[in-house]
Amino acid sequence: MSEVQRKKYTEQEKNRIFDEEFMPHIDSMYNFGYRLTFDEDDAKDLVQDTYLKAYRFINSFEQGTNAKAWLFRILKNSFINDYRKKSKQPAKVDYQEVETYYNSEDVDYKMTSDLRVDSLKDMLGDEISNALNSLAVDFRTVIILCDLEGFTYEEMAKILDIPIGTVRSRLHRARNLLKDKLRSYAQNMGYKTDEEE
Amino acid sequence: MENNLEGSGERKLQCSDVSKCFQLLESILDGANIPDSQEILKSKLAKCQPCFEHYHLEQAIKEVLKNKCTKHEVPSELVANIRQKIEEIK
Ligand SMILES: [Zn+2]
Repeated sequence: MSEVQRKKYTEQEKNRIFDEEFMPHIDSMYNFGYRLTFDEDDAKDLVQDTYLKAYRFINSFEQGTNAKAWLFRILKNSFINDYRKKSKQPAKVDYQEVETYYNSEDVDYKMTSDLRVDSLKDMLGDEISNALNSLAVDFRTVIILCDLEGFTYEEMAKILDIPIGTVRSRLHRARNLLKDKLRSYAQNMGYKTDEEE
Repeated sequence: MENNLEGSGERKLQCSDVSKCFQLLESILDGANIPDSQEILKSKLAKCQPCFEHYHLEQAIKEVLKNKCTKHEVPSELVANIRQKIEEIK
């Protein structure tokens, strides 16, 4: 949070912004926190820290801009800077490692018609959720932001501090990895895939 | 969407540029601001079988994610805790 504190809101304005623009996003924020940490207490801490920071730095929030994107950016930075450092279980894949590995914008777009729409419809919430949770944090994050929360590529670029081209390619890779998982679930459920035909 | 199936026999079975097409389709699906996106989408899906299948699969995955992965209930004390902490730093 290095933005210059440009203007001062009155106490009343601060409370209004906090209540009307920040608090309505608590469900999405908690879901994001939970999907990053997989732990209820850690998610609560992360969301609470985010809201406290949001209040403390409220003067750097521009009214009329996207409050949800602003909050998500704070949460994601708190996750990287605070949570990841003190976390007792470091993630399986190091964030930085994934960054350098997968930041190439040169992505293969190829056919994946061996996963069927009708097999998806029969999957339980747990299977979808587990597939998402199994992705490395960078890939999981872009899917959460785009598919669960409906952020645009531009908003995602700002939240993640990466170029739009990287957003696009990371999202595409994430979706391919997710499809691999879903495909294996579909096979276990007895759905035919092209590989077996 | 089933209406799009009409004339499926006329769709070409090979996509002339998978990378370009799929990237465009995903951008449209993700709500990117592309001029005439609905017309482009309609014509691509009508003409190209790989594009048709890719779009519908991506759309289904997106829907299923949104419906099944956003229902985490926020712990009831969280909002109260946040408000209390804010009062402390005011
Ligand atoms: Zn095509």
